Amino acid sequence: MIAARRGNLVTLALLAPSLLSAILLLVIPILIVIAFSFAEQDTYGGAKFGFTLASYRELFQAIYLPIFLNSLQLAAVSTIVCLLVGYPIAYFIALRAGRHAGLLLALLLIPFWIDFIVRMSAWMVLLGRNGTINSALLGLGFIEQPIRMIGTYPAVLVGMLYAFLPTTVLPIHAALNGLDKRLLEAADDLGATPLQSFWRVTFPLSLPGVMAAILFVFVPAMGVYAIPVLLGGGKSIILGNLIVQLFLDFRNMPLGAAVSVVLLVISSGIIVCYMRVLRSVEEART
Amino acid sequence: MKKLIALYVPAATLIGYIFLFAPLLVLVIYAFNAGRSTVVWEGFSLAWFAEALRDRGLRAGLQVSVIVAIASAALATMIGTSAALAVVKRPFAGKNLFSTLIIAPLVLPEIVLAVGLLVATVWTGVPLGYGTLIAGHVLVSIPFSFLIVRAAASGLDPRLDEAAADLGANGKQAFLRVTLPLLAPAILSAFLLCAVISFDNFVVSTFVSGVGSTPLPIQIYATLKSGLTPKINALGAMLIAVNVLVILVVMSRYLKTIRKQS
Repeated sequence: MIAARRGNLVTLALLAPSLLSAILLLVIPILIVIAFSFAEQDTYGGAKFGFTLASYRELFQAIYLPIFLNSLQLAAVSTIVCLLVGYPIAYFIALRAGRHAGLLLALLLIPFWIDFIVRMSAWMVLLGRNGTINSALLGLGFIEQPIRMIGTYPAVLVGMLYAFLPTTVLPIHAALNGLDKRLLEAADDLGATPLQSFWRVTFPLSLPGVMAAILFVFVPAMGVYAIPVLLGGGKSIILGNLIVQLFLDFRNMPLGAAVSVVLLVISSGIIVCYMRVLRSVEEART
Repeated sequence: MKKLIALYVPAATLIGYIFLFAPLLVLVIYAFNAGRSTVVWEGFSLAWFAEALRDRGLRAGLQVSVIVAIASAALATMIGTSAALAVVKRPFAGKNLFSTLIIAPLVLPEIVLAVGLLVATVWTGVPLGYGTLIAGHVLVSIPFSFLIVRAAASGLDPRLDEAAADLGANGKQAFLRVTLPLLAPAILSAFLLCAVISFDNFVVSTFVSGVGSTPLPIQIYATLKSGLTPKINALGAMLIAVNVLVILVVMSRYLKTIRKQS
């Protein structure tokens, strides 16, 4: 009896720090954001508590619609680009690399852990007006004027790919690595061409990894903001920039809170869908 | 056609790795260039490193980042470790929900977490500064320390605890003399990774750093917006060196444990 109570105390002591930090730093702040999104804006850009839908009404006006669409489009295109580049890499590491697989995975992680801002400045050095690529092309006589790369959409996509490529490869690699190789031999024995066995065996079995990759790229990409500012010149406004501007530049907290709530709802929706699909896939398999 | 497909996968992988490493390589190489150019080699020089180290803003940022990284990593590691031990070793109701809550900051868009922290400081009147920076970095680091220590703890043989009990150790002794030493490498890895995460953090820092507590990435960002100088290359090269060192330490530990297990 006493031992059981002591055991409970130990459990509680172990849980307390994480529960406390999750409540103080995550749950309560998000509740305050939700409350702020329904608050009125006071004259200093702060929030006066009350209940008004003014911020949401403002948000769903025509001027903000393109911002949502820009964000969705950037997130979707980035996800597709990451999958197109990341899938073959994951495939190679899992099924072709043999004993070099560990080394390739380790190499993949190195850029992932290097300062985000340093990685972005590396691309600014390459793509700048007087940057490496332009100077090299000019020097070789391929072009007469420097090409404008910073400030264009492809530059933003390059930055997104650079930021999210490791996150794409890892879950797909995990799915392909767990694949029973005898299935591929069986497909081969049954006369399937390599392409057929890929589309009918390998690819369907790697789908859980692909879905996880989509989740890990799409959700953060919806809220990204430094990449479009540094590499895209911040010209097309997306949700991330909008939130930063509303909070730090224009000091319109209720509207900024409303944008954050919408972003939170969209990403939670995606996460819930992902978990549902994952569960049904697992159930279908067993 | 068949050959083309067979070539596609290795070719795409090769290009992918070039894509990942070429920019970093260019950044590091031209940090040693005597001139301002990032193409023409004008001779080897360490001048840009000296310049970067002399820059007041960057030095102040570095100091803030180091302090915040150590403090937040220590806190996040303690919190994540205790949560992981509770999940692996203790029975309690709502374990799945608890784990989801702990990992949530990893999945939610970071900007929403940052907005939450800023709004909470506005609401409570807590001034922005070291405290809010450390709290924010703790929030984004906990999932990592939790996942790393949980993986290591669930790999421990539960019979070790029984053996310790059979030999007369009480719960505290078994924990301090058996569990903790076995988990020490994972806890150290967790600490190092949390420190790197804090040191690199950009989004949360944008929102919750105050005047006089601007961490290095935000300082670099301000410098970048006003134009690129090889000073940034030099600074980047130094940060890459530090990061790679940390990764090598963490990975060599993991490779050792994997080798032992196999």
